[in-house]
Amino acid sequence: MPVGFPEFIENPENRCPVILLLDTSASMAGASIEALNEGIQIFKQNLLEDEQASLSVDVAIITFGNQGVQCIQDFVGVHDFLPPTLQTGGMTPMGAAIDQALNLVETRKQVYRQNHVDYYRPWIFLITDGAPTDDWQAASTHVRSAEQQNKVSFFAVAVEGANLKVLRDIAPPHRPPISLHGLNFRELFVWLSASVKRVSGSKVGEAVALPAVGWGEVVS
Amino acid sequence: MTYWKTIARSCRGIAHEQQGLPCQDAADCRVLPNGVVVGAVADGAGSARLSDVGAQRSVDLVLQGLSLIVQEFEQRHPGKVFPVLSESVARQVFTQLHHCLMAELAMIAQAHQCEVKDLACTLLAFLATPQGLAAMQIGDGFMVVRLPDDAYGLVFEPDKGEYSNETTFVTSTDAVEAMQVRVLAETPVFVCLASDGLERVALRVRDWLPYPPFFQPLEEYLSETDAAEPPPDYLEAFLASAQLNARTSDDKTLLLAQLVR
Repeated sequence: MPVGFPEFIENPENRCPVILLLDTSASMAGASIEALNEGIQIFKQNLLEDEQASLSVDVAIITFGNQGVQCIQDFVGVHDFLPPTLQTGGMTPMGAAIDQALNLVETRKQVYRQNHVDYYRPWIFLITDGAPTDDWQAASTHVRSAEQQNKVSFFAVAVEGANLKVLRDIAPPHRPPISLHGLNFRELFVWLSASVKRVSGSKVGEAVALPAVGWGEVVS
Repeated sequence: MTYWKTIARSCRGIAHEQQGLPCQDAADCRVLPNGVVVGAVADGAGSARLSDVGAQRSVDLVLQGLSLIVQEFEQRHPGKVFPVLSESVARQVFTQLHHCLMAELAMIAQAHQCEVKDLACTLLAFLATPQGLAAMQIGDGFMVVRLPDDAYGLVFEPDKGEYSNETTFVTSTDAVEAMQVRVLAETPVFVCLASDGLERVALRVRDWLPYPPFFQPLEEYLSETDAAEPPPDYLEAFLASAQLNARTSDDKTLLLAQLVR
């Protein structure tokens, strides 16, 4: 008698949480915010093209500027993610936004653990063209401590006009900010989706090599 | 007459094919006299340059070491069957083997002009006698056994960090501390070792319960033959199957052993 092949159990997918931490202050108005909005659309499209990534990646968006700090999108799967049309206005409360993102990551991990879902190290992806108008020193300490404890991977992207010195102080020393070429948000989000695809498809125990950054310069 | 049927096969994952990487899994088992069997599975780290070499050498060396221990015992105690080890003795044995393995990997690294961590792999190994089983695990992958008239059981909870892509390798600085060792005072009738590529299809990750419909066909496959090594076609076809590749892009390894009394 030929034996049938082993049958498979259905397990929940490993999750790969990504927070977009976006500057929507007044200075982002015009071409910047339009390019950013388009970039987020491209991010979703690219993730959808990869089956594994579309099942694994969870996206959240926190904005700072227009109406202060707002979590405009709590974590959601790629299929259910509706890219927003961001509006600009107001100051740049970056410090508070960073702290909210760090908290949101830890809350999300609790949800995963409660549901026995495995997850990859979360990413926080900060994009700004300005300088914080609130207390950012404490947030900087929190970022560095979270990085040191492997709680999160923090990336900072500087759009033209950003205060690079402050961003350098916020970003973890081993991952300095990257200065975006012009308004090349398209390339940036193509890179981000390619990177999280690699993470979400990575083998257990594998250190993931990220694609080369073609959309900006590392700020040294 | 008591004897073991065994087979071990690895199959390259589709992601490895696409990236031009070799199969970095290795597996082998050896049937020794007096109803003793030893087996090992190693899964080379995807990020380590020569982890396929490290995995193969780790499997070879561990089997060689365990075989030697059994042979030496039988030479010193003719006619006696290798006893069930206590957990502390088993830990000493596996720690010593790891020590030898590190020395060997250091030499290989020198010969290949690479670092020891370029040979990184996980390791699962066992020694089963008619009286019991001693097993070890460093890193991920899994070992499932079935005692007579019992359900499938996972020997070790997986060694996982907080995140899905973290584990321990034989070359990790904390490998000995992270090494899990367990002794069963009864011999399983079925032993299955697998690399982590199969983890998510064979175990319910919520509570790490083995999924019987995964393991039953494998046991039946062994039962269907009288040969000490069953015809490999079935196992090879399964490991290369489209169904399995749809669920994992990683290398896949199964080592199966069945006790016949």
